[in-house]
Amino acid sequence: MRHRLAVSISPMVVLAAIFALAAESAIAQPAKAAPGARNWRPSKTPWGDPDLQGTWTSDDCIGTPLNRPANLGEKRYYTEQELAQRESQLAKQQQNDLQELVGPDQRVGTGPPSHWVERARRPCRQTSLVVDPPNGRTPDLLPEAQTRRIPEGANNNNPKADSWEDFSYYIRCISRGVTGSIFPVIYGNGQQIMQAPGYVTILQEMVHEARVIPVDGRPHASPSVRSYMGDPRGHWESNTLVVETTNFLSNRTGIGLNGGGTPTSDALKLIERYTRTSSSELQYEVTIDDPKTFTRPFKVAFPLTQEPGYQNFEYACHEGNYAMSNSLSGARAQEKAAAEAAKKK
Amino acid sequence: MRKTLAFAFVAGVLSLAAEPVWAHHAFAAEFDSSKPIRLKGTVTKMEWINPHAWIHIDVEGEDGKVSPWMIEAAAPNSLLRRGFTKNSLLIGTEIVVEGYQAKDEAKRANGSIITFTDGRKLFIGSSAGDPGAAPRKDK
Repeated sequence: MRHRLAVSISPMVVLAAIFALAAESAIAQPAKAAPGARNWRPSKTPWGDPDLQGTWTSDDCIGTPLNRPANLGEKRYYTEQELAQRESQLAKQQQNDLQELVGPDQRVGTGPPSHWVERARRPCRQTSLVVDPPNGRTPDLLPEAQTRRIPEGANNNNPKADSWEDFSYYIRCISRGVTGSIFPVIYGNGQQIMQAPGYVTILQEMVHEARVIPVDGRPHASPSVRSYMGDPRGHWESNTLVVETTNFLSNRTGIGLNGGGTPTSDALKLIERYTRTSSSELQYEVTIDDPKTFTRPFKVAFPLTQEPGYQNFEYACHEGNYAMSNSLSGARAQEKAAAEAAKKK
Repeated sequence: MRKTLAFAFVAGVLSLAAEPVWAHHAFAAEFDSSKPIRLKGTVTKMEWINPHAWIHIDVEGEDGKVSPWMIEAAAPNSLLRRGFTKNSLLIGTEIVVEGYQAKDEAKRANGSIITFTDGRKLFIGSSAGDPGAAPRKDK
């Protein structure tokens, strides 16, 4: 039997290495905004609100880390030279995807295979999704938050899972929370925005969330009403939709990708800003303020784009979530093997 | 130069380690990296289900006994976006799977590399079916 190397070297690693190399050699210059973006004005709905409707995706920032690598310091954007290199890598990746035969460098691994992932269409200009504080990194946790248990997430290769309840709310197909449902991940990044008089609704492909956001000035629900996705209220500031969301349940999802990381508290308040900057681009920004979890508020931002032919599909997450029972039986098999090994000692 | 390249590579690995690419669940929670497999089998069913599709194949062992295996595939939505449809893999097709077996030793595996028997990849395409892959021009 022939086997390729068990350790998979992902194309993402190669890309990251190229970036790190480029970062050393090039002078950091902020990337320029798209031509004409500043002066562009969205059309209005028949009832006079700025029109944000359409299906948007954050695919272009797939693979951009939430937290900036420390060696990049306060460098928020890649240089034009680095972006050109990344563009060339994306083109090469697309060519590789279209090759009929398996490339000689493709390795068998335990990570998600390349055919699983959706692709960026153009390079993301940012070095991290966190844009404030200036170092691009999530602020420190408060002592009280450091003791919160982080549910077993997709990053835990040896989950200590006695029950399905030990897994993250994402693995359990329940929710990724508000930020986890829009931050770019390897697939399922669709966001369909629909508007009606007094409402904006955002349908999120994964995990089939529907955020119905009143924009008619009504107050928040009573603080006693709590939910995974919180209670959103929107208003317009010029052409920007501003959404304030409160009334979250505590200790469910975090601010990491897919709602991972330290779970947030019931004091979490999110202020999101949606600004359409061209016919096919929308800038998303969210300020995360949780005075029971983080030492200071922080901000995440990235662009969403509309792509021809791109649409949301149903993601009935629990339909065949075999991975849940498979992971639990895997954990039991590991325990059994460990117990047998201990007996032999 | 070699030193710089090595540094760059390490930096790349480190930055990836900080933000790894995760799917819906941890692969290594299901599959055992010490149990590599290479299977040749005949497709009996493809389950187009969320959060991940599963390919069912019959594999003939060295003793001639046929065993059913399940191979985990991508999310159906991602497969469709990459141009893979229900007609792309018909029942009775022979495929070759390289990956790792389940930790509990059940006949399940991740399909790290899946090909037809002539070596062609099963999953070909980028954001196929999506002309947006071409550079976009704003009006």
